[in-house]
Amino acid sequence: MVSAVGGQEQIIPKSYAAELAVLSSVIFASGGHLLIKAGLNRALQVSAGMTLWERLGHYFVDPLVILGLGIYFLGTLLWVLAASKKSISYLYPITALNYVLVSLGGTLFFDEAIPRRHWVGILTVVFGVILMQRSASRESK
Amino acid sequence: MSSTVALWTSIFLGGVAQILLKRGLNERVAQASKSSLHWWLSLLTSVWIWAWGISFVVATALWLLAVSQMNISYAFPLLSASYALVALLSRIFLKEPVDWRRWGAITVICVGVVLIAGR
Repeated sequence: MVSAVGGQEQIIPKSYAAELAVLSSVIFASGGHLLIKAGLNRALQVSAGMTLWERLGHYFVDPLVILGLGIYFLGTLLWVLAASKKSISYLYPITALNYVLVSLGGTLFFDEAIPRRHWVGILTVVFGVILMQRSASRESK
Repeated sequence: MSSTVALWTSIFLGGVAQILLKRGLNERVAQASKSSLHWWLSLLTSVWIWAWGISFVVATALWLLAVSQMNISYAFPLLSASYALVALLSRIFLKEPVDWRRWGAITVICVGVVLIAGR
């Protein structure tokens, strides 16, 4: 497809549609995880002493958990959209940004500590994703 | 099932799931349809897409089974093995071009995931 148009001449919005979709997918998936965690933090306070099944039932009726699962599902749809546009060997590793966003969300919203080694990992993943983007020049689908 | 078997089966199946998804999508992109709603609905008639969905659910269940019995800081970095697996399988079964730059980027991302999750 690219060769027919001549790579460089492609219109930018079209050629970046997959990247936009995968980034949105990562943002939705991470946001979903963080909402689920917020719901669980709240639900945990009242679930002490319950059996496993009682606890699960309790978690799945928490509005934040339900909202989180719904947003996570939207993220999955966006992932399908992204995967329909470019190579899976290119797009799939980009979803490692999930770990970055969930970590940042954890420290931002839940005051979870991020050790220095963890920050180095975050920067390394971001660097890897930038490298991955540069390997996309010969993308066709 | 031992937790180690559950963990590696989950990682392998999770990678295979992405290949199944892409295989199904490649088919549906080829027969590009008129409206986008039609396209989304057409995915529901693809055996590959169903295989992806089932693999995804089984992989997630196995993952929960594994991490309930082992340290998450040990299990989590191993997930990044699926990036290399997906690249390898996509090259073999989908004929995707995976050059040295892409392998390099995958390696860097795996190192980053290990650093984030490891102890």
